[in-house]
Amino acid sequence: MSKVKAILGYTLASLSVPVLLATFFGLASWMNLLVAGTGLTISPWYSGGPVARTIDHATYQTRIHQPVFQALLGERREGFVQIAWSPREAVPELIDEEVDYNGDGQADFRIQLEKQTRQASLMPYSPQVIGLQGVYCLKEAWAIRASLKK
Amino acid sequence: MATQAKTRSRAAGLGIAKSLLLTLPMLLLSTVLITQGQIPKDPLQLIAVLFTWLLFNISFFLMLFTGKTYCYRSLLFILMAFGLIVWFSTTVLEERGNIALSDENIINGEVPFCPLVIPMTIIPAAVTRTVIFPGSLLSGFAPIASMIVIWLGASLVVGRGWCSWGCFYGGLDECCSRIGKKPVIKNIDRKWTYMPYAVLLGVVLTSALSLSPTYCVWLCPFKAVTEYAAVTSTMVLIQTIIFVALFVGLVIVLPILTKRRTQCGLFCPLGALQSLINKINVFDLRIDTAKCTKCKRCIQTCPTFSLDESSLESGRPLLSCTKCGQCVDLCPKGAISYHIKGTSLNASPQAARLLFLYPAFLLMSAIGGWMIMVGFWRILKLITTGSML
Repeated sequence: MSKVKAILGYTLASLSVPVLLATFFGLASWMNLLVAGTGLTISPWYSGGPVARTIDHATYQTRIHQPVFQALLGERREGFVQIAWSPREAVPELIDEEVDYNGDGQADFRIQLEKQTRQASLMPYSPQVIGLQGVYCLKEAWAIRASLKK
Repeated sequence: MATQAKTRSRAAGLGIAKSLLLTLPMLLLSTVLITQGQIPKDPLQLIAVLFTWLLFNISFFLMLFTGKTYCYRSLLFILMAFGLIVWFSTTVLEERGNIALSDENIINGEVPFCPLVIPMTIIPAAVTRTVIFPGSLLSGFAPIASMIVIWLGASLVVGRGWCSWGCFYGGLDECCSRIGKKPVIKNIDRKWTYMPYAVLLGVVLTSALSLSPTYCVWLCPFKAVTEYAAVTSTMVLIQTIIFVALFVGLVIVLPILTKRRTQCGLFCPLGALQSLINKINVFDLRIDTAKCTKCKRCIQTCPTFSLDESSLESGRPLLSCTKCGQCVDLCPKGAISYHIKGTSLNASPQAARLLFLYPAFLLMSAIGGWMIMVGFWRILKLITTGSML
């Protein structure tokens, strides 16, 4: 038994270098495999979550993300919804838009955003909308986050 | 005693021909790992590559020739940490234009991932299938998937050895722990060595509940030398004061006073996780209790508090052993050696050391080679052009 253990030990020790080389030389493939195999995505608390609907304007688009209430189990009482306008350069100097974030056909809030000053005001129409969380100039879009409650 | 140690250690070294021969595979592999398969056209970069390549290969040769591990590993380990600071800050400045993180950087997923976050991401990833970190999964600078794959491979190959051969932060407190001749604080209560497990448990639970990496947000001392949230509120100011204080205390002051790696041995949650998963790794250290005279020199000098009197009785270091080689080099009786699990204590320690050194050193070349090379290149650039960027 001790001889088998020793052979196994030396075999595993000898495999260390190939395992390490495979880790580094095959890094791109392992990375893709990891992400595809686990289906992992970035937490919507950071990314804003997946886009639920897109509204086409003449020169730009409004992207309404899915509301984020994610918790470890179930959902939190408070969350946010991200609204983004892209492409960044084509977005008008002043955005004034009524947003129906839950897709029920009724506008839930009105957002006015001035690009130059990065100032925005939010007028809630729905009791679920608490207020404005922030204005962000992202890589490819202008965005706001509106705080929500369940 | 010093002469005895010198004789023993020199005896453990290989001859010049054997050392050269055994360095050859490392010469080839380190060339690929350090250059990342491309010979740079920029002359300054070429000088940096050559310097790094020589540094690594001479160090490896000397490890084999002298039979000593710790001093050569330590030199590269410290350079890796300083290389990281230069590499990281210049790359972030080039890519993002600012070291301080803004809300936009977070929403854009522009935060480089770090292995210290891994313990906090496991439960949320398993339950929600999302990674609670504002980085990118596959693209950009230090994407999440790349760090996870490297950490998995390294953990499989060297286990907790990651902390002395792969971690790019550990060199900072190791550097400070080498300042001064004698420790000012000699006795540290054993109960403090449980602290990393408490930190691990705390940050894993709070991160799972808040879906936010609490260690990164509140505690990580290394934000002081990498990146940090821009101070835009009182809460961020409090977080900044905490991480700067932890950096000064755990990475600078305490290592100088104790001559130990206090951040690694008494605080790091990833180190605690590495200790727990070290079982999957085939390498460890063993103490020959028949040879040991219980002089306790190893206990007094272990950088990560991984040896105590119970270790000398049982012949095994504690869970937190990072396989740095300090005790192996210092033991005057040659009672401590690298070991392969499953083999007998009397099986060739030389073979076990070699079989460990190859993957451990390759790991260091793969992670640290690039950092040292870029760090050196940026410094050369600063000297010759006046700008690191």
